[in-house]
Amino acid sequence: MATLEWATLLVCCTALILRVPDAVKGRNRTVFGILLLATLCSMLAVTPIYEAVDRALGGQHATSLILRYLVFATVLLVGLRVTKGLAAARGHALIAGAAGRWALALCSLAVLATFLLMETAGAPAGLQVPSAASNAGVAPYFTAAGRTYPAFVSLILVPPLVAAVRSRQPRLVRAGALLVLLGALFAALSLPVALVPADRAGGLGFVNYAAVLGYVGGLVLFWFSGLIAAPSGNAKATLRRNRD
Amino acid sequence: MPLPAKAFQLWLHGVAPTASTADICRISGIKRTTLAQQLVRGKVAETTLVSISRALKRSPLEDLAWFESYSELSGAKAPTPAELVSQIATMDLLRAVISRSSPAYGGYGDAGSALTPELSPAPHATSVRNWVDAIDDGELRHRVSAATGVAPQNYSAQLTANRLSPELAVATARAAGVGFTGGLVATGLLTEREAGWAPDARQLALDALSDGDLTALAGERLQSLGKTLRRQEHEHEQTKKIWENLG
Repeated sequence: MATLEWATLLVCCTALILRVPDAVKGRNRTVFGILLLATLCSMLAVTPIYEAVDRALGGQHATSLILRYLVFATVLLVGLRVTKGLAAARGHALIAGAAGRWALALCSLAVLATFLLMETAGAPAGLQVPSAASNAGVAPYFTAAGRTYPAFVSLILVPPLVAAVRSRQPRLVRAGALLVLLGALFAALSLPVALVPADRAGGLGFVNYAAVLGYVGGLVLFWFSGLIAAPSGNAKATLRRNRD
Repeated sequence: MPLPAKAFQLWLHGVAPTASTADICRISGIKRTTLAQQLVRGKVAETTLVSISRALKRSPLEDLAWFESYSELSGAKAPTPAELVSQIATMDLLRAVISRSSPAYGGYGDAGSALTPELSPAPHATSVRNWVDAIDDGELRHRVSAATGVAPQNYSAQLTANRLSPELAVATARAAGVGFTGGLVATGLLTEREAGWAPDARQLALDALSDGDLTALAGERLQSLGKTLRRQEHEHEQTKKIWENLG
């Protein structure tokens, strides 16, 4: 698991650094913000870093609460951007409208409530979910609450992403959409995985990281496809091209 | 179905008994690995045969007809006027319309036919679909798919991509009851000259079109070109939107 944590962080950092020049130029800063948040999240998901940050914050595991809210913010931004980019008006309305706001509010409350129900003070440091013995009943619900909102947004993103993958866009764009789609599916899958007892979930602990890798990898592909296609502009749809 | 490797090697031995595989590849510009792969798989692409036949200064049409699956090519019927016109590029058709118009619009009036600029060589950007449209009686696609087992949507997809395997081109011609060379020219496997078409066959067919037929045909072509361009523009808009928001 440690390798996966570090690998995810490395991928996020790489994506973030790749986007620095564009962000400095003021182009698509929201995507840079998404990558920045994703990098922060994957940083806190690395056990040693989490421990260090949590010690600095007083060892009450407030960091795990912060991590959940950071994930929510990232997912919200991704959802808004992807639905806008894919011209999925209904999906955009679902995420930005009343339904989306209620989902966000309820999930935030559920995370906070389950967090307060847990005994955080005496919990052993080093686990993103405080897992003192007395918390065994509540901890899975805390995790599940933290994964509900990402699953909600991801499920909304699935139909427009499938359409994009099957469209006649340039190949790299479709590959990017496919990666984001995989990320969305893994994010949706991570919710039921959280509720399965750990010993029966088997090797499914990776779904979180697969989701992050899918989303971030897809964004990098979108960016890269735009980068290499930039000079030719609208060359595809011209009479000249149809002449020969 | 591409050519069987055994028959191909027999043919190759017959036409170039002394040449090594390396020689053949060198003169025909085929990669050695490509040819070797096709021989190992037992299926040689028709384009390979045509390239070698061209390099040996032989007739690709006759060499194709040497193979059993293409035996119908020998003594092939000449293309119909509609097939010939289908192999004229849309822009050449439009140029012909203007040439026939009155001098006030940049044309030559009644002398227009004789003064039309030279046609660009076949195939053009929508050759394959225009060829099939030219020989289609409305049921052709069904007959082809029944005869070959190729699903109609796959057949349509090939036409849209301006592609058609030589085998399907021959099957289409057979189903339509026309000569076999039209499809091979439309798909670009053979040139008009290699197919045995007269150098001015397309021009003569164009000149024989009445003003009304030419204008209506040019109009149809323009309409479908407009559709294609609009679809491409729409797709490009979508792509641009993705790049603007996510790139």
